[in-house]
Amino acid sequence: MKRIITLMLAVVFVLSMAVSFSACGEKSDWETVKEQGYFVCGITVYAPMNYFDDDGNLTGFDTEFAEAVAKELGVEAKFQVISWPNKYMELDSGAIDLIWNGFTYGLESDGVARTEYVDFTYSYLENRQCLVTKADRVEELNSADALKGKKAVAEGGSSGEGVANELTGEDNVTTFTSQASALMELIAGNADFAVIDYQMANAMVGKGDYASLSINNAIEPESEVYAIGCRKGSDLTAKINEAIKTLYENGTMATIAAKYKLTNDLVTDLGAAE
Amino acid sequence: MNFWDISVKLLDGFGITCLLFILTLVFSLPLGLIISFGSMSKFKPLSWLCRTVVWIIRGTPLMLQLFVVFYVPGMLFGVRLFTGDDGRFLAALVAFVINYACYFSEIFRGGIESIPKGQYEAAQVLGMTARETFFTVIMMQVVKRILAPISNEVITLVKDTSLARVIAVGEIFFVNEMDFLSRGLVWPLFYIAVFFLVFVGVLTLLFGWCEKKLSYYKV
Repeated sequence: MKRIITLMLAVVFVLSMAVSFSACGEKSDWETVKEQGYFVCGITVYAPMNYFDDDGNLTGFDTEFAEAVAKELGVEAKFQVISWPNKYMELDSGAIDLIWNGFTYGLESDGVARTEYVDFTYSYLENRQCLVTKADRVEELNSADALKGKKAVAEGGSSGEGVANELTGEDNVTTFTSQASALMELIAGNADFAVIDYQMANAMVGKGDYASLSINNAIEPESEVYAIGCRKGSDLTAKINEAIKTLYENGTMATIAAKYKLTNDLVTDLGAAE
Repeated sequence: MNFWDISVKLLDGFGITCLLFILTLVFSLPLGLIISFGSMSKFKPLSWLCRTVVWIIRGTPLMLQLFVVFYVPGMLFGVRLFTGDDGRFLAALVAFVINYACYFSEIFRGGIESIPKGQYEAAQVLGMTARETFFTVIMMQVVKRILAPISNEVITLVKDTSLARVIAVGEIFFVNEMDFLSRGLVWPLFYIAVFFLVFVGVLTLLFGWCEKKLSYYKV
């Protein structure tokens, strides 16, 4: 009995070691994607980028954009809802292939350039950070001074977190796993203001579940752009860039942008983010 | 979104929760028994190995173990162990099975060591082999003794499954967070409590019934 158990344990141990080292065959990202027939985009759910329509289907600008790129490459696009602060871990472990969810080309909240962690494709959409407060407090919180020392919420690891840190100091900023949950905090009255993407605020704030909130123009942050984040050194970056170029040339990008009323924000000068 | 739609979506998520719960039990109970034999082994290196593993698993947060199982193989070795649609679920299952097997192993060890040595000696005198002794004499007594602590762990497991959401497994809390909480709907959070209460209620009745059935030597 004891010998059998010892043997079984030994076998399990050896097997687990074998699995972890034998499977190290190096294949490039594009080869893997081509072979399996799909790439996985890491997303959080928010309008207008990736959200569920009334029938429960995933839709949105980034959703259609990713599907168009996938079609161009002859593969399928899959979407995986992730916890945004885990995005680099998801990417590096291969659990997702792309960070494609209104991903700002710029700095992490601690000031480190995101290019340290990912390779960016061409940028495709303009954005800026946007202040959101309760509708009845817009008058009161009308300047950068009024915001100082107030309680802020933002998505962890987002550009908005950096802006919030500057406005009110790091100690007053609480972060959440998605922009939507940051807004929830605001509705619940646990914070004075939130900093999220303008594109999201524009599509969601003031309507439906977010009717009690309002965009607040007390600050004017610099404009920024969205790009797709690929694993460092991945050959997928070039492939996607090619596809994006084609989609611009044949007018698909303009069509998708028009559908989501984003025509004015569409980046026209390809390669600006490189 | 009406009450019916929300119920259906939450039920979907609760299905994953239940599946994770059941599969974890199915695999971690036998594995726990094996580990408990290992840590009681007279072969010192084996018992040290098992006790060290139990120490590490019980001594680190389950959430961390989920991260390690799901992300570390890919990050350090470039191996995608958990791919495909069920990858996240499998990773969560592996982490839960290892974690719970370690807790169960200690309960088993306590149970087995509580049986008086005289019974083994008596069995030996009667000419029973070690295997016969364990399976026919010892095991059922152990089961009776450890039923209460096991039920504790099992009920904890039902609720621990919600931790799987940190690696984006679509269990009930993840569904709620992504579909409802993020849209400003708070009440489904409390609705979820009903699912858990009912489920744990059934388990409690089940364990109570088992205990009654097993108390046949009590006067």
